[in-house]
Amino acid sequence: MKHSINELALFGGQPAFDSLRPISNLLRPDIERFLEYAKTIYDAKQFTNNGVLVRQMEERFSLLHGTRHCIAFCSGFMALMMAMRSCALPDKTEVVMPSLTYRRMADIAAWAGLVPHFCDVDVVSLGMTAKTAANAVNEKTALILGVHPITNLCDIDGLEVLAQEHSIPLLFDAVEAAYAEHKGKMVGSFGKAEVFSLHASKQLNAFEGGYVTTDDDSLAEELRCVRGFGFAGKDNIVRLGLNAKLNELHAAMALACIDILPAHISQNRARHYAWQQTLADLPSLTLLLYSDTEPRGYKNVLVRCEDSWPLSRENTLHILHAENMLARPYYNPPLHESSSKLLTVCNTDLSATEKLTTQYILLPSGDFVSEKDIAVMGKLLIFMQQHAEEINRRIKEDNS
Amino acid sequence: MKDDGIECLAFLGGKAQFSTPLHVGQMNLPKWEHFENAFRDVFARRYYTNHGPLAQELEDRLAEFFGVRHVVTMTNGTIALMLAAKALNLTGKVIVPAFTFAATVQSLTWAGVEPLFCDVDPQTHVLTPELVAPLLDDPDVSAILPVHLWGNLCNAEALEELAQRKGISVYYDAAHAFGCTRKGEKAGCHGALEVFSFHATNVFNTAEGGCVCTNDDDIAERLRNLRSSYGRRISVDIPINGNGRFSEAQAAMGLLSFDDYPAIITANKARFELYTELLGNIPGIRILQPVSGEKHNYQYVVLEIDSQVFGLTRDQLIRLLEAENVLARRYFAPGMHRCMPYKGSYPNVVDALPTTDMLCECVMQLSSGQAVSLQDVRVTCELINFIYDNAESLRLRLP
Repeated sequence: MKHSINELALFGGQPAFDSLRPISNLLRPDIERFLEYAKTIYDAKQFTNNGVLVRQMEERFSLLHGTRHCIAFCSGFMALMMAMRSCALPDKTEVVMPSLTYRRMADIAAWAGLVPHFCDVDVVSLGMTAKTAANAVNEKTALILGVHPITNLCDIDGLEVLAQEHSIPLLFDAVEAAYAEHKGKMVGSFGKAEVFSLHASKQLNAFEGGYVTTDDDSLAEELRCVRGFGFAGKDNIVRLGLNAKLNELHAAMALACIDILPAHISQNRARHYAWQQTLADLPSLTLLLYSDTEPRGYKNVLVRCEDSWPLSRENTLHILHAENMLARPYYNPPLHESSSKLLTVCNTDLSATEKLTTQYILLPSGDFVSEKDIAVMGKLLIFMQQHAEEINRRIKEDNS
Repeated sequence: MKDDGIECLAFLGGKAQFSTPLHVGQMNLPKWEHFENAFRDVFARRYYTNHGPLAQELEDRLAEFFGVRHVVTMTNGTIALMLAAKALNLTGKVIVPAFTFAATVQSLTWAGVEPLFCDVDPQTHVLTPELVAPLLDDPDVSAILPVHLWGNLCNAEALEELAQRKGISVYYDAAHAFGCTRKGEKAGCHGALEVFSFHATNVFNTAEGGCVCTNDDDIAERLRNLRSSYGRRISVDIPINGNGRFSEAQAAMGLLSFDDYPAIITANKARFELYTELLGNIPGIRILQPVSGEKHNYQYVVLEIDSQVFGLTRDQLIRLLEAENVLARRYFAPGMHRCMPYKGSYPNVVDALPTTDMLCECVMQLSSGQAVSLQDVRVTCELINFIYDNAESLRLRLP
């Protein structure tokens, strides 16, 4: 507990934590379970190329999401790139996507041969809606990428109607909404396909990895084909492909994580609830709440800095980083500001995006954060608010 | 052995010589205890990816091994090739052999440049300056991408001299060439950069994986930036962001691979020499040999079958061996110029690569790697000798 601002790590005090408290989930499954799966690699003498564990993992995920197919990839990046390319209408060029999203999304589209056409998001849900997406749909649209925001879901029903009306395929990026439900149905089964990441920072940790779920048999076949150099059977290349295969070590890790998924979601829920309790005393930081009627993954802790929060976001982050809290700004800068090297289209109103990109902070969460840590972090934030005037003065002095 | 006549061959209804399949490709497993310890450490450290401590350690050890300034590890060899093309800012066309694995050529297409297919030398199976030179007249050529196929290093000095005269880059696909030398210099030090694959079928195994080696500081930094923001030293200008991250699981495997490397090479060499001894005198079979005095990894056992002399075609021989659970392969048939989408895109080159077409008809690989014992090699060679001895009568029974 700090008593004066000199005790803030930014001003030379002892950091609140002696090791990092990240925003990444970094789920550590049971090592014995992982080793059990890894023994399969030794028994089968197979490290990759659609091995036993990859197939087992794909089966588990398609059961979990209630889809006919799950196709594993070496990363969420590659899963998105391949899914965008395979889902897009062949004679069109643009993909409609929010600007307020993952910082590499425009690059992924470019690798897939598509031009991002940015749309705005809803100011409350932070997700795109049929209305914001419709502003960017035109005769060049090859694909709508429905991206779920970081807590709840985007306008699934509205986007499905919009896509259907225009006969444009709809792909969901469900990386941040994994294991949520919409109207009693698991995310994974909406649109033409949905994409997930298994990067260590996400809900389930495969070291690196990703996957696509779909009910479309021919899309699934095409994705399996492209991730393995375009081979359809031995010595027979039928289309342009590459290597986007998930290896067996990573699949073993994913399986060990799936085994503890329900327990892990409960832990994340408890952490999120602890944040909610802690921040209840701090109305100037508003925690985005998860739906209380439908299942969610509870991985992310996102707060909005209200006008009454007396520190700038930049200074808030500086202070927290010094305390070993790796808080991050939420999707900042937005893609329409950061993708100048790529061909993009940006001709719709993005005023909500421009407002939201300045307001939000992701706070530490996941496997490295205990409920006790959250109490400490809460107290620190209250301390920062109470001593804001002094802190601002000190920062100004230090900078001059 | 098959001394009861050709009916005892599995293809003709006999019992297969091997109860479990023998594969082409290394598939070298570290000792389980080593694997277990390495992963207990990873779990204890709780660092899973994003250029972690093991990835950094592996890069340092690889740089020392290759004798090169920079090693940038990547998700796999194909992604390494794609990001390498972007790091070199390639445009237009790149001269590349069609007699190579799909990844070499596909990486160019993903990077937005066109392959300009070149034929290869019938003896070494790689690009030569003589074959490359005429293609340099094309004004759109921005680089040459030779492949050190089967670990046979290309004539780097001559190729680089040609390229220099034209003011373009040479970079190598060295997927097969881990530890192989030319004039005593290891693959990894040549051209603008060299790309390796650590796929489990290769001698250095990280399950999936790869790396780029370069002595050029700027190219190295562009590669790190293209791979991910994690592990970059400074932020530099790149045309597009990629994702080529290499996990701690892959790095742990790589470090174990290093420990086993000397023993793996010794075992590969013993298998290779036994194959050479037992097959070398069969008419119509040529086993590609490493250049004497150079280091080699002996990861592939590559045969050329002269069907006129041997009495059966390569495909007939493979069919007979497959039935015996010897899963011999025919890398690479057809050549990339005859594969989609290139077949349709460049119809004018389809008939312009006679050596490639010839090799695609006659080259094959025999089983290798840790799972293949010297006794397995002996039995395989006896089988092939038996097949040769009975080629005439077998020909009548084979499609």
